[in-house]
Amino acid sequence: MVKKVLGLTVADQASLLRIAILGLISLVAIGSRLYSVIRFESVIHEFDPWFNYRTTRYLVNNGFDKFWNWFDETAWYPLGRVVGGTLYPGIMVTSATIYNALHLLNIPVDIRNVCVFLAPAFSALTAIATYHLGKEVKNATAGLLAAAFMGVAPGYISRSVAGSYDNEGIAIFLLVFTFFLWLRSVRLGSALYGALTALSYFYMVSAWGGYVFIINLVPLHVFALLAMGRFSNRLYVAYSTFYVIGTLASMQIPFVGFQPTFTSEHMAALGVFGLIQLVAFASFARTLVPENHFRVLLRGAVVSLFVVGLSGLVLLTMSGVIAPWTGRFYSLWDTGYAKIHIPIIASVSEHQPTAWPNFFFDLNMLIWLLPAGIYFSFRELSDNHVFLILYSIFAAYFASVMVRLILTLTPIVCVLAGVAMSHVFETYLNFRDVPPSSPVKASAVSSAAPAADKAQRAADTVSDDVAVEDTDSASGHKKRGKGAKKSAAKAAEAATDTSADGAATPSTPAPNELSPGLKRFYTIFPKFVVMSCFMFLLCMFQWHCSWITSTAYSSPSVVLSSRGPDGSTFIIDDFREAYYWLRKNTKPDAKVLSWWDYGYQLAGMADRTTLVDNNTWNNTHIATVGKIMASDEDTAYELARRHDVDYVLVVFGAMLGYSGDDINKFLWMVRIAQGVYPDDIKEEAFYNQQGRYAISDDASPAMRNSLMHKLSYYRFAEVMGGRGTDKVRGQKLPTSVTLDNFEEAYTTENWMVRIYKVKDLDNLGRSHHAASKF
Amino acid sequence: MRLLGALGALSFAGQLLLSCGVAGAQSLSELQALAKKDGDSLARLDIEAFMKNVVPESKNYAVVVQLTALSPKYKCKPCVELDKTLRTVARGWNRHGDKDQIVFASMDVEDGEELFHKMKIEQIPRLMVFPAGAGPHALANASPREMSLKEETMTPEGMSAKLGSLLGVAIKPDIPVNYGKYLRMTLAVQAAGAGAYLAYKLVNLRMLGRNLWAIATIMFVLLMTSGFMWNKINDPPYMGQAKGGEVALFVPTNNQQFAVETQIVAVTYAVCALCIVILVRHAPKIQSADQRTFITLLFVAVLMLMFSYLNSVFRLKMPGYPFKLLLE
Repeated sequence: MVKKVLGLTVADQASLLRIAILGLISLVAIGSRLYSVIRFESVIHEFDPWFNYRTTRYLVNNGFDKFWNWFDETAWYPLGRVVGGTLYPGIMVTSATIYNALHLLNIPVDIRNVCVFLAPAFSALTAIATYHLGKEVKNATAGLLAAAFMGVAPGYISRSVAGSYDNEGIAIFLLVFTFFLWLRSVRLGSALYGALTALSYFYMVSAWGGYVFIINLVPLHVFALLAMGRFSNRLYVAYSTFYVIGTLASMQIPFVGFQPTFTSEHMAALGVFGLIQLVAFASFARTLVPENHFRVLLRGAVVSLFVVGLSGLVLLTMSGVIAPWTGRFYSLWDTGYAKIHIPIIASVSEHQPTAWPNFFFDLNMLIWLLPAGIYFSFRELSDNHVFLILYSIFAAYFASVMVRLILTLTPIVCVLAGVAMSHVFETYLNFRDVPPSSPVKASAVSSAAPAADKAQRAADTVSDDVAVEDTDSASGHKKRGKGAKKSAAKAAEAATDTSADGAATPSTPAPNELSPGLKRFYTIFPKFVVMSCFMFLLCMFQWHCSWITSTAYSSPSVVLSSRGPDGSTFIIDDFREAYYWLRKNTKPDAKVLSWWDYGYQLAGMADRTTLVDNNTWNNTHIATVGKIMASDEDTAYELARRHDVDYVLVVFGAMLGYSGDDINKFLWMVRIAQGVYPDDIKEEAFYNQQGRYAISDDASPAMRNSLMHKLSYYRFAEVMGGRGTDKVRGQKLPTSVTLDNFEEAYTTENWMVRIYKVKDLDNLGRSHHAASKF
Repeated sequence: MRLLGALGALSFAGQLLLSCGVAGAQSLSELQALAKKDGDSLARLDIEAFMKNVVPESKNYAVVVQLTALSPKYKCKPCVELDKTLRTVARGWNRHGDKDQIVFASMDVEDGEELFHKMKIEQIPRLMVFPAGAGPHALANASPREMSLKEETMTPEGMSAKLGSLLGVAIKPDIPVNYGKYLRMTLAVQAAGAGAYLAYKLVNLRMLGRNLWAIATIMFVLLMTSGFMWNKINDPPYMGQAKGGEVALFVPTNNQQFAVETQIVAVTYAVCALCIVILVRHAPKIQSADQRTFITLLFVAVLMLMFSYLNSVFRLKMPGYPFKLLLE
């Protein structure tokens, strides 16, 4: 049975193959995230990553203690921000550690490159963690398939391309890894794994606010198992270890602090912790009390405790001892909540509900493998499968309410799709089960078949034998189906070899005698058809993922590109042009006012003081900025001077047709300003007579007089020759835009960013209008 | 857009005065008499009452009027919504507020078609406020104005807040308690309880339980992953109409959908998943080789076809998507 190749046993060959395949998957995962670096350059993307990048630089330059106590007076001017206490430090500490380690080894890497390539590197780790999760719930085949899916699924790539240096980049790895450790600790009942789960959870808490998902899902899993009557000492050990260590550790993060003891998000975990102690006590008591008495006792106790606990929780929440759910979480349950009460959350496009094409876009065929995976989980329904089912239910709900939460759905979809796909592979990739020629052998096989049912393959050699086959087919995913043909040919050669593994196909002798060749054809042909179809589907999935990644998820949004009519590429680099202008041409303590979207970029690239940024913690301050933008020139000047503003920056897309510009965001500024200053700013005033949102000469007076409108269109019509149109809104340009209190300081090449200086007070004490008339 | 600027409203009132020239003494009691006829104190106006008692700026009370078309033949859904909301506000004011200060009224197209034509009112419903121009509650600017009807002003709370801030009073809407809903909920809970009890007594839960749970879970996940919540929040039409007048099942954009799309997509996903389950669990167990081959090939074909269909629909929704399977 044991054949040695190059001195390796079958088992060794299998594990070598697995490692090789995982390595390839990691390479593909990293490689497909590099489009943005190849097309553009190694640059930090978007908005939030710029903050993470800036803090990481601070951490590297100043050390951990200073970082921890950092009070940043250049943000939220004049309020400032306690940075150390208001962020999740995980990603910065990770990058800084990697940076220091590399420098210790005398590898001089720039911190920017560490930050840019962190998310792709962690995506490889995520694929490996997914492999282990898949192996934990089924076997190595499922694990490898799940890892391959996870490596390339656009739902995850969307948040982890090179340069997207955001919390999610490492948090998804931690999410998957924590869940894997949790399942293993439940299966083994090991306190060691429970403690490891808690440590991984701690890392997760330090990295991403989404840790709340873990601290609710794990208790839910425990609760579901208890409700199913599956209490075991393994569960007790795992959960108690995890909860105690995990909670204590999570409280070490200043941003989390004592929240685990009093906020609703963490109450479920505490409640289940109490419950499992009681259940453990009950099961201990069971050994001392007669069985029938005990049943009555237990039922009564569980029900009454649950009711008492729940009503106590509700009472405490209502009386305010336990903090109610925060707005963001609340808006997940009551979907109309944010729209009415928190416009700043509703204004973000990634907080919108998800239409079905988004799911198909991000997960393609995995999305219909998911229900099949759930079905197979219900067939087996071990403790682990209960977890997978709960995870899929909740993640599916959350993803359907908020587009960005497809991210948390992706791992479970990959794992369950891997399970479903591995079932198909195990059934149809086994080409060796050809009906043997002699009836004696046939009976031997058919008697062996039930014993070697695929779910309970315990014998090492046999299962590894299968694993070799399966891993081979998984790599066929990349080899574009060649593997399938090869193994088909191999199988045909080895047709006489009657190994007794995985015989799912019964081989009854047909009543009317068929020739052996025909019999073999009957067995192999359908399998071959099924496998080539699935191989093609897998290839198509890979094409889909590459295409989506390349077209949709690889734009840095700091640098834009457009195509000319002849197919040539133009790189539009206005943002950095403007930010570097500010950096080089203004005083180091200059205050720059802009809408909050650009706050982090301003701080990161221009290194200047901002009034508001993407950490939208102070609605009033944001509303004040909105008010400045929406007021007439004089009011705005007054307010801007009172806030010590030196420069005002607006983003303007009418020249290029860049639709994400400030005029398009302007209504949200007005709405947010109106929420705080209802007497001064009214949304209706910004619609013209026909009730349209117009910008040209038929715009409403409030619109035409607003600072945002003036700063955007000042001198623009002149440059366009007086007859141009606004390329974003398709309207005529306003003809006369005057500006007295502000002067144009800089406008970038494509007019995308315009910077204005707030004029000093007039020397003679006149108003600027009077001075300009003079 | 139903919004009309203040200027529009001004010219509207001016036209009214010029064209009709009615200037009899306005009378609050006439309006109140009309209001009494209605259960919710919403005075139903005709042209004469409108001209005489609502339009003049010298009156010492405010009038809130909806211009509407409630008759079913007009099929005006927003009219009915506005009417319902306005009635809760009117009832609330009638109960708590000063009846001599604000009167709520309604002007239907059936009573004033002539007026609607003359004023070239093409869009309904509209909600007009005619503030008092004299007396203790007079507003400095007594010209009539229109209240924009947006999502938040179409709720009783939103509308009363808006009207209240406009007229400088506090209005509390009288939202009816939906007893029917409570009753239905109680009945449903009881029925569910009874059903659960019967199921517990009669059915072997251990056998049934797992399959039931599996079906429920899979259906839930299918609904969620095919955009059910999007429909619930955005409330799109069930299906659309193409240019030629035939039925359109799919919106050709990436982030919009009709309600029917969710159903089609969920069923397609379900069929695909079912094919996998049959291929894995049932097809290999078939004894006869012919049948086994046939069933296997059949379900693979169904699977490929279904996925091709999904793919073609996705190509429709996302122009420029380069991959296709069997179908265009």
